[in-house]
Amino acid sequence: MRGLRQLPAILYMTAAFAFIFLPVAMLVIYSFQNGPLPVPPFKGVSLRWYDALLADRKLMAAMGNSVLVGVLSSLAATMLGFLAAYAMARRPPRRVALAQFFLMAPISVSYLIIALGLLFTFNLVGVGKSLLVVGIGHVVINLPLCFAICYSQLGEHQANVERAAQDLGANDLQALILVTVPMLWPALLASFFIAFTLSWDEFVIAFLLSKYDTTMPVVIWSMLRSGLSPKLNAAGTFVFGISILLVLLVELLLGRKRTS
Amino acid sequence: MTDPLVQLVGLTKSYGAMTAVAGIDLVIGKGEFVVLLGPSGSGKTTVLSMIGGFVEPTGGSVRIGGEDVTSLPPAKRPTATVFQDYALFPHMSVRANVGFGLYMRKVAKAERNRRADETLKLVGLDGFGDRGIHQLSGGQRQRVALARAIAVNPAVLLLDEPLGALDLALRRQMQEELVRIQKRLGTTFVHVTHDQEEAMSIADTIVVMNRGLVEDMGVPARIYRRPASLFAATFMGENNLLPGRVAAVSGDALTVETPLGRLLLAGKADLGGAVQVAVRPEQIYPAATAPENAASLGSARVCELVFQGTHWRARAKTGADGEIALLLRLPPEMQPAVGAEVALFARPEDIVVLSR
Repeated sequence: MRGLRQLPAILYMTAAFAFIFLPVAMLVIYSFQNGPLPVPPFKGVSLRWYDALLADRKLMAAMGNSVLVGVLSSLAATMLGFLAAYAMARRPPRRVALAQFFLMAPISVSYLIIALGLLFTFNLVGVGKSLLVVGIGHVVINLPLCFAICYSQLGEHQANVERAAQDLGANDLQALILVTVPMLWPALLASFFIAFTLSWDEFVIAFLLSKYDTTMPVVIWSMLRSGLSPKLNAAGTFVFGISILLVLLVELLLGRKRTS
Repeated sequence: MTDPLVQLVGLTKSYGAMTAVAGIDLVIGKGEFVVLLGPSGSGKTTVLSMIGGFVEPTGGSVRIGGEDVTSLPPAKRPTATVFQDYALFPHMSVRANVGFGLYMRKVAKAERNRRADETLKLVGLDGFGDRGIHQLSGGQRQRVALARAIAVNPAVLLLDEPLGALDLALRRQMQEELVRIQKRLGTTFVHVTHDQEEAMSIADTIVVMNRGLVEDMGVPARIYRRPASLFAATFMGENNLLPGRVAAVSGDALTVETPLGRLLLAGKADLGGAVQVAVRPEQIYPAATAPENAASLGSARVCELVFQGTHWRARAKTGADGEIALLLRLPPEMQPAVGAEVALFARPEDIVVLSR
C-alpha cells in the first residue's frame, strides 16, 4: 500500500532524472559505438574512438591548453577571491556592501557580454587573441564564485580563532598562514576545483578570445561542423567525465567540512 | 587589596549613538579573581574585550602593571583570553594548540612541548597532547582553551563566559577547578558571566554591571548581604523590595516608614526621601524561629506554597489591602497552610535601605 502511494513520486523522479541525464547517457553510450556513426542501432562495444581521440594531435594539444588555462585561471581566481573575502569578512558589512556588490556582479552578466567586452578592450590596448586572454576571461567569470565560497567560511567563529592566534602573539601574516589558510583548506580546494570545472567546460569566451591555440570545447565545436562521429562522443564523454570527477571531489571536500 | 595590576580609567565605548560602556573606573589587584557580572547588554564583555585589546575604547584608558596599553594590539599586551566559543585551532593537535603562544615567542620545540604537556597536566588533560581537537568533548575543549591561554604565562587571564556552553554538573566542576588553578598560579583572572551563582562561587571580587556602568563592587558576601544599589540587590539572588520614606535621620541611623511598619535601620538617605527597603526571603522569620533582636513586620497571608527540602518557598500578601507581595522561606519543620496568617520578623541589620 505504502509502495503504491509512492509510485507517482518514484515515476516523477525517474522522469526528471531521465530529462536531465538521458542526453548525456546517449552521448556516453554512443562513444563506445562499434561503427562509423553515433546513431542507432548500437553495434556493440568498442574503444576504437577513444584510440582515435588519443591519436588526434590537435585534440590532445587542445586538452593541454584546457588544463593550462584551467589550472592557472582557477589558481588566480581562488587566490584573488580568498583575499577579497578575507578583507571583507573582517570589516563591518555595511562598509563593504558596495564592494561586495561589484565583486558579485559579473555572475549575472552573460559570458557572451563579458567575452565581447574583453575582446573589445584587448583590441583597444593592442593585445591579440590568445590563451592568456581566455584565462583572464575565466578569472573574470570565476572570481565571484571563489569569493562567495571563501566568504561563506569566514564567519564570526573563524574571526575569533584568528583573534586567539593574534592574542597569543601572532602577527597578521602568521595568523593568515598558520591558522586561516589551513582551516580554510577544504574551501580553497573546492573553490579551485569548481573554477577549474567551469573553465574546462567554457565555450563562448574561449571561442571568441582564442585564435590558433585553443581549448577542448572550441576544438570539439569545430569538429562538429564536419559531421557527427563517435569520436566526438568520445571527446564529449571525456570532458564530461573530468567534470563529474571534480564535482565529486568538491562534494567530498565541502561535505567533510560540514559533518565535522 | 594587593598591588593594583589593572586600572581602568574613565573607560568608555560607544557604537554610534549606542553606549556599551559608559565610563568605568576600576582597579583590579594582582592575583585577584575578579568576576564581571551582569545581564546581557550590560557591557561586561565589552570591558573584557577592551582589557584584551580586541575592542578599541572611544574614551578613557587601560593600564596594566602601570603601563598604558590602551593603544597596544592584543599580541603586545600581557593578557591572554579564553574565548566563549573556545576558538581552538582545529587543524592542530592539542599539544600544538597549547604550544602555539610559545611558538610565537620562538621557544624551541622540545621546550615548547615540555611546557605544553606540563600545562595540560595542570588542567587535567595529562596524556591528551597527541589528540586532535575533533576527538575532544566540550568540557575537554574548554580545558584546552584554558591551557592554551595560561601556557604563555599572562599577567592577566581574561575569560569570556567560558563555562556557558557546559552542562550544569560540568560547570560546577570547572568552577572549582578554575579557582584551584587560579590560586595555584597566582595569575590575575578576570572572568565574565551572567550567572550570579557562578560569580559567587568563584570570585574574590564581584563587579556588578548594568547598562555600561558599575553598580556595585566587592566581596561576594558583602554584595549579597549589603548590596549598594537596587539593581545589585535584585540581580544577585531573590529579594523583597518594599517602598519606603525616610521619616527621621540621626547619623547613620534611619527611621523608615514602610507598608510593614516603621523600621529603625542603618544606612544613609535624605530626610523625607523615597527609598526602597530590601530584605532577603531567608532573612524573614516566622515567630517560632525569629532571633531575639528581630523587629516585627506584621503578618502576611500565605497564598502559594512549595516544599523544597531545605525550606518551604512561600508567596504571601501583606499590607493594608494585601497589595504587598512577599517571597518567604519558611523553616521545613513548620506546617504552613495556604490562606493562613503568619507573623513575620526580620533583624534590622539584615534589611538594606537603597536610595538608587
